[in-house]
Amino acid sequence: MSRARRLAAAVLALLAAAPAPAAALVAELSQREIAVTTGFTGAELLVFGAKETAPADLIVVVRGPALPFVVRQKTRIAGIWVNGASEIFNTAPTFYAVASTRPLAEILPESERERLRLGLDALPLRPEGPRDEPAFRDALIALKTEAGLYRQDDDGVTLVGERLFHARIFLPPTVIPGPYRVDVLAVQDQRIVAARDIALVVRRVGTSAEIWRFAHEQPWLYGFGAVLVAALAGWTGSVLFRRG
Amino acid sequence: MQVYLPLAEMSVDALLVVGIGLAVGLLSGLFGVGGGFLMTPLLIFIGIPSAVAVATSANQTMGASISGLIAHWRRGNVDAKMGAVLTLAGLAGSAVGVRLFALFRSLGQLDLVVALFYVVVLGIVGSLMAAESVRALLRRRRQVRRRLHEHFWMHGLPLKMRFRQSRLYISVIPPVMIGFGIGLLSAIMGVGGGFILVPAMIYLLGMPTAVVIGTSLFQVVFVTAAVTVMQSVSTQSVDVILALMLMAGAVAGAQFGAAMGSRLRGEETRGLLGLLVLAVALELGVALFRRPEAMYVVEPLL
Repeated sequence: MSRARRLAAAVLALLAAAPAPAAALVAELSQREIAVTTGFTGAELLVFGAKETAPADLIVVVRGPALPFVVRQKTRIAGIWVNGASEIFNTAPTFYAVASTRPLAEILPESERERLRLGLDALPLRPEGPRDEPAFRDALIALKTEAGLYRQDDDGVTLVGERLFHARIFLPPTVIPGPYRVDVLAVQDQRIVAARDIALVVRRVGTSAEIWRFAHEQPWLYGFGAVLVAALAGWTGSVLFRRG
Repeated sequence: MQVYLPLAEMSVDALLVVGIGLAVGLLSGLFGVGGGFLMTPLLIFIGIPSAVAVATSANQTMGASISGLIAHWRRGNVDAKMGAVLTLAGLAGSAVGVRLFALFRSLGQLDLVVALFYVVVLGIVGSLMAAESVRALLRRRRQVRRRLHEHFWMHGLPLKMRFRQSRLYISVIPPVMIGFGIGLLSAIMGVGGGFILVPAMIYLLGMPTAVVIGTSLFQVVFVTAAVTVMQSVSTQSVDVILALMLMAGAVAGAQFGAAMGSRLRGEETRGLLGLLVLAVALELGVALFRRPEAMYVVEPLL
């Protein structure tokens, strides 16, 4: 079955299953779990669903787990570029992508965007400590955007006809495993009229997961294992080449 | 083909990594050194985080050196007593090095410290090697007879010990200091240290050339093994998938390199190696002064 047909079938199934009054907005993901395997090169998440026939704008937000980050500024000491002043951001999302049918500023008033943390300029990134230079915050957003981990796409949600919509969100290979959350919002006249949230999990699976877990839970054993593996590989190599 | 590295938490092109292993293996077979001093900068250059590059390179160097050690051990070219002294001192040095490594990483200065160590150490060693090979090429015409080995003031320090296989009766202090220094460099630079250890054993300790390579491999194998374990425990940055791909390339490359090396004269190889080491030091040194592309860096807080 082609991807489009599968999508259509899923949407129909959703429409059929949803009770009439609550059907203002339905949404689903192409997958509820993203597996980080040894061959992981990133994943494309398809967010799709249907809304009421009345004209409305849609916003899709994908948020990853938050972690503390440190941003360091390069400074020049005796001609050499070194890491100088730094700011610590205690809770910065490791992944944040927002897609909408139109630019966010046209859809929602600023107060509402701030409250719901919609858009890169509304991200709650507050550095630790007394200094609050916007340069560090901007650098954090710029570097994460460059790495494909932050994104704001002003026409990332596509409407198909009056009711169906879909958005494609790419998660790069550097995404941090953990619980993710997908929010779908329908907006009419600068007001949110319907919202859905769906949980998404990015999980290490297979060999890479086991290696990571082993290295973090049993570091001594892992270290000795790495030595043994290297010794075996070196020895095997010498035997192979002596015969051949 | 892209392969996901579980501890570096990123994917790399497997062919590129095996290619780096092959190239470094070729050079190490040609010059008889581990090649860690080329491996770490190349890994950092393709985007592997410094911590993973250094720790994994030590693990790879261990694997690459072990077959050489076995071969030299069979031929009786290892001074086990000297090796044990160098190794014990090396373990102490690498323990200190791993602590420093973790400290610099938490200060956000790891990249700088690794680069500075490379520039200074490779700069000095490369110049000495190049100068020595030029001198050797000149000396060849004059045919000066040399003594068994020169005696330095440091050989007369207290705590004398007899090293039968090296035909030496010297103070234990110089080998301990050399071993400690190599262990420290091994932890911070991810190198085996053969390219420093070999000349140090010949010129500073006065060991006979026949046992130098085997004994240095003995020290390199044990110290890089210890570094691998310590880095695994303190920074979780030894990536076995990366190490295996590098070794696959390096083992094959070393065979071709060794075959090529047998056609070159000793002084010529050493001169070439000196130039190579100098070129790496120069490139890394210039990069320190180059204006960075991004004026900020983001790192996870440790």
